[in-house]
Amino acid sequence: MLAVKDISKHFGTTAALDRVSLKLDRGQAVGFLGPNGAGKTTAMRAILGLIALDGGTITWDGQPIDAAMRSRIGYMPAERGMYPNMRVGEHVVYFAELAGLSRPAAEKAAERWLARVELSDRAMSKVQDLSSGNQQRVQLALALVHDPQLLVLDEPFSGLDPVAVEVLKEVLVERVAAGAALLFSSHQLDLVEDLTRYVVIIDRGQVVLSGDVDALRAGSADRYVDASFAAALPPEWAPPGEVISRTGNHVRLRVGAEVDGAGLAAQIRTGGQLVSYRYAPPELSEVFRDAVSGRGVASSIAGAPL
Amino acid sequence: MKHASRPAAKLLLVARREIRARARSRALRISTAVVVLMMLVVGVINRASHNDTTANSTIAVIGAIPPGFAATVEKIAATTGQQVIVLSNPLADEAAAASALRDGTVDAVVDAATSTLQFHTRVDPATAALISAAWGRADARQVAISLGLTPAQVDQVTAPPPLTVTTISPPKSENGLGRLVGMVAAVLLFFCVSTFGALVLTGVVEEKSSAVVEILLSHVRAHVLLAGKVLGIGTIALAQFAVFVVAGLASLKISGTSVPTAVWVSLPTTMGWFIGGFALYSMLFALAGSLVSRQEDAQAASAPITIVFVVAYLLVFLVSGNPGATAPTILSMVPPLAPLLMPLRMATGSAAVWQVAVAAALLIGAIYGVLRAAGAVYATTLLHRGSRISWGQALRRTAPPAITD
Repeated sequence: MLAVKDISKHFGTTAALDRVSLKLDRGQAVGFLGPNGAGKTTAMRAILGLIALDGGTITWDGQPIDAAMRSRIGYMPAERGMYPNMRVGEHVVYFAELAGLSRPAAEKAAERWLARVELSDRAMSKVQDLSSGNQQRVQLALALVHDPQLLVLDEPFSGLDPVAVEVLKEVLVERVAAGAALLFSSHQLDLVEDLTRYVVIIDRGQVVLSGDVDALRAGSADRYVDASFAAALPPEWAPPGEVISRTGNHVRLRVGAEVDGAGLAAQIRTGGQLVSYRYAPPELSEVFRDAVSGRGVASSIAGAPL
Repeated sequence: MKHASRPAAKLLLVARREIRARARSRALRISTAVVVLMMLVVGVINRASHNDTTANSTIAVIGAIPPGFAATVEKIAATTGQQVIVLSNPLADEAAAASALRDGTVDAVVDAATSTLQFHTRVDPATAALISAAWGRADARQVAISLGLTPAQVDQVTAPPPLTVTTISPPKSENGLGRLVGMVAAVLLFFCVSTFGALVLTGVVEEKSSAVVEILLSHVRAHVLLAGKVLGIGTIALAQFAVFVVAGLASLKISGTSVPTAVWVSLPTTMGWFIGGFALYSMLFALAGSLVSRQEDAQAASAPITIVFVVAYLLVFLVSGNPGATAPTILSMVPPLAPLLMPLRMATGSAAVWQVAVAAALLIGAIYGVLRAAGAVYATTLLHRGSRISWGQALRRTAPPAITD
């Protein structure tokens, strides 16, 4: 189990990380969310031991992460990085060997992973001759070739075409099912929800929200109402709540979670004949936006804190 | 799955990758081939000019040659190591002589009738002196015979007992050769460090400027990574050096020059200093590379090292006249200077064993120290993107290395 506890890191006077904590079990995936510059990359680098922390601890199964453990982490940095002049096959074998695999094992693993990311036919090509999407597939193979126990992937989906996104999703689901722990960051929240129910949202170096996605949504102080009417809404009609959008015969409203559902529905019906009506907690993207814009939401609202 | 994490195994992995990447470089192959070709061409040219300048002259005569002239010429020539052949068939006239000189079948023509010695375009003073002496002696012989002396008396007059030539102390050629060995070693090290040290520098910056280093450092510690790089590039440098040595020997063989034994004797220790010097300066270049994150800054960061290296190189020529004096003795034990000065002092026989030992120990210590410093700087400045970090800043920042185990 990965346990990040109260880690802090300052660059000059800016706090890149301010007492950040998170936990991650084997066989669990956690989405690491936050706006640009929130501290996601810094936290991930800290897990890899790439930066010296000002405070806090990072442990795996209760032990500080040493060189041997670091070799069991699969890491994909935010900026992609490979040797442009190396051949794809050699490159994957080299990193497998660096992670401690014997040469035959490394060659076998490289072959398997290149097949998995559908690049077997490019093994003899130089990395620089691949398209950027294909380079990213190689980058994924580099992170996975040594069968890591912990995956730390910084923006693994950025720049991938839809086919590659599907391949990556499949691979990650499979690794997690096989018992690997996965920490990944992404700005594509729908992808995050496809992969995991657990998220940690970080903003300006601090964890602002963490937990099960459904619990976070349910725990929000807001509810959203989407209503479509048979005819255009009369201009003078006053909807019961804050209007998010209002177009022709559709309206989207925000109301407080404490508002009585039955009374609300009755008020909505005053706008005309309803075609559809939906009352729901905010989407993850809305939870995220609210959390990082500082609209008071208590952290770790529900469920086991991560 | 087995996860070995022995640093030595990783060092060799890094070195192997480096060797493969560099050996594949077309620029390296072409430059090596060009130098080898040049060396062989120099050998061939030397051989050709050798035949021109070695005293292997052919002399022709017009008219009646005084008896004994040819024998006298050959006898005198032998004492100076020259070989001069006097053609037994005299030429018909001056026109025949001119054409023989022009087409190079003879180097000089003696005209007995007019007592002249004729060359083609340039007078060869050695041959001229030799012919004059032989001519004079042959003339004296004829005069002596015409005066009625017996052949024995004639010999006494015309062939005085030869002088025995000696010197009062043995020649100093050993020291001259030692100086030459020292200087050649310095030139080779200079060439090698300039070429391959730059490769280390750009190689380190290439990795650092890309995120590949983030993955690398999750598997390998910074100083192991740097040492592997220097080892790999150093192996390529040594391989190229070996190719040059073989080509150089082939060139000497072609030109017909023999290599003095003293050179062979000092070869192993000179090689040792060569490797040590290469290691130290490459490590320093790796340290300089660790300070920057962009290729544009690499040259500026390595400037102090280049300056020290050039000064050390020039010192070799400065002290070569008296390598045993106090200043060279002390300087030759200072790590950055030792690899350049020690081969000279050892080859000239002016270095005491303890001085060599001290210099070697300090050099090895310095290599290790620079390696660890470079590793620490590398790890701390790893994620520093942008402007160059000054040497002072780097040393202050280096206190806690990020990667610990």
